[in-house]
Amino acid sequence: MTDAEAGLRQLVPEAEVQERSPRRFYIRIPRERLTVAAQFLHRERGMRLATCTGIDTREGFEVLYHFCEDGTGTIYTLKVLASKDDPRIESQSPWSPAADWIEREMHELLGIDFPGHPNLTRLLTSDTDWDADMYPLRRDFVRSRGGEAKTRREAHEQ
Amino acid sequence: MKDPLVWGLKRSPWVYHVAAASCNNCDIEILELLTPRYDVERFGIVLVGSPRHADVLLVTGVLNRKSLPRVLEVYKQTPKPCFVIGIGTCACGKQLFRNSYNSVGPYDKYLPVHSYVPGCPPKPEAMMLGVIRALGKL
Amino acid sequence: MHLNGWEVTLAIVFLPGVVLASASGLMLTWVDRFVAARVQWRKGPPAYQPFADILKLLLKQTTVPAGGSRVTFLAAPIIGFASMCVIAMLLFFANFFPHVSFVGDLLVLVYLFALVPLATIVGASASRNPLSAVGASREMTLYLGYELPFLLALAVPIVRTGGAIRLGDLVLAQRGTGPFLFSLSGAIAAVIVLICIHAKLGYVPFDQAEAEQEIMSGVLIEYSGAPLAMFRLTKAMMFFLMPCFLVTVFGGGLASFWAIPELLLAWVIIILVKNTNPRFRIDHALRFFWFILGPLGVVAVALALMKL
Repeated sequence: MTDAEAGLRQLVPEAEVQERSPRRFYIRIPRERLTVAAQFLHRERGMRLATCTGIDTREGFEVLYHFCEDGTGTIYTLKVLASKDDPRIESQSPWSPAADWIEREMHELLGIDFPGHPNLTRLLTSDTDWDADMYPLRRDFVRSRGGEAKTRREAHEQ
Repeated sequence: MKDPLVWGLKRSPWVYHVAAASCNNCDIEILELLTPRYDVERFGIVLVGSPRHADVLLVTGVLNRKSLPRVLEVYKQTPKPCFVIGIGTCACGKQLFRNSYNSVGPYDKYLPVHSYVPGCPPKPEAMMLGVIRALGKL
Repeated sequence: MHLNGWEVTLAIVFLPGVVLASASGLMLTWVDRFVAARVQWRKGPPAYQPFADILKLLLKQTTVPAGGSRVTFLAAPIIGFASMCVIAMLLFFANFFPHVSFVGDLLVLVYLFALVPLATIVGASASRNPLSAVGASREMTLYLGYELPFLLALAVPIVRTGGAIRLGDLVLAQRGTGPFLFSLSGAIAAVIVLICIHAKLGYVPFDQAEAEQEIMSGVLIEYSGAPLAMFRLTKAMMFFLMPCFLVTVFGGGLASFWAIPELLLAWVIIILVKNTNPRFRIDHALRFFWFILGPLGVVAVALALMKL
């Protein structure tokens, strides 16, 4: 067991660690313990938040935070699950600038709310021509919706 | 010489490149077209840095909801008469992205397109042919 | 010989003002593009290309940016163009009819040359565009840079003729003693003026104001149609007239035996340097003008005072 894994188990006793390969760890933690675990990995273990991934699964919205330990080349991924009727995950942006834009993208494409984020506005999608609760990467998103919304006149007048 | 403006536009078409949410493959090919190997300057084609200097707009990529107002803004800023040439199959008819939630109608729904150059990406020779054919129809 | 107002107007508007200077200037820009093409192993544009460019621009729609000052925006290119025409008239009369030039017309010429970047700066400032503001500030910086060695170098012929600031006197003096270029101080000063001419024209390596890749045509970004044609025509005329100015003041005058070879040499040097160099950074350019050419200009003036 690596030091990071040991420290995490001590910090978050409910963590379930899955070692896919010697350099790849997936650690499932409850979402209330996310900030503590992430700050532990970043501040005390010196890891860098590489990116975050969000996916819509049967159990809920699963958000993965990938931390890279650049000294050994190991990646530790924290998995948190947000339920579908209450998709909120505490934002990591106040202390980690790397999470800022990624959380904005996840918010606009998956509809996950990040309370505590300083600027949770849309990033990639259109700011003028977008329906209110249209989250394209959700599995129940109707694919044929959207597209030919404008006539030529409307487009030129905008 | 029937019309001096027509003659001028045919002999000196200044080109501005508009990338509307493309995958950049066509943009790279346009860059290659402007290298000395294909020598487009012998037709008077010059890449200009501002849409206000342009006669020909080379548009690439599928229009999507975010880029549509911006592409229209660039078109409005180009002094008329100007020509729009759609480069790549995405500009011709959306291709892969025809059912996407984010792509809006094909270009000629919002802009008058004068020439289409299909290809994914089109070869520089094909693009040159498209530009010359569009000008030759003047 | 005295010129009445009608003859002066004709000289400005027709020959040598607009017609000769613009036609020759445009042909020279074609030569430059031709050389650039050959250096890159390609064919290059046909000989009528610059004329087609200007004709097309004159006939296109003129767009004026909203919110900027409309009058200033449209008047700026006219200022530059008009000053070029007057420069053409002054130069040609000073060279071929030296008795017509008036006292101080050398200084008038220096001010007229300054009007061209000023017109560009004013037009860029009236464009209400942040990129053109950057271009305008670069143009101003560049102007402050090259004007210093330019004026120092122009002091050399003034010193050598004992204080003559009439172009006609300079031409006549050179007819007597030979071109100033053939003396050491004159040669240094002529090289300085040639480099400053290159910068005044805004050619690489000094085209920071109109950098296409960095600031999207900088100062001219909002110009289109006829005003843009006037700016480009002004630049073409400048390409023709500035070496003429160099030959007038240093090379013995346009009517002398050495005029044509010197003009050709100046144009060849400008074209070759333009096509084989990258662009300077603006602070590098400023340092180059103030701390390398400036002291060189002082050296040239000192040598002129020592009658070398």
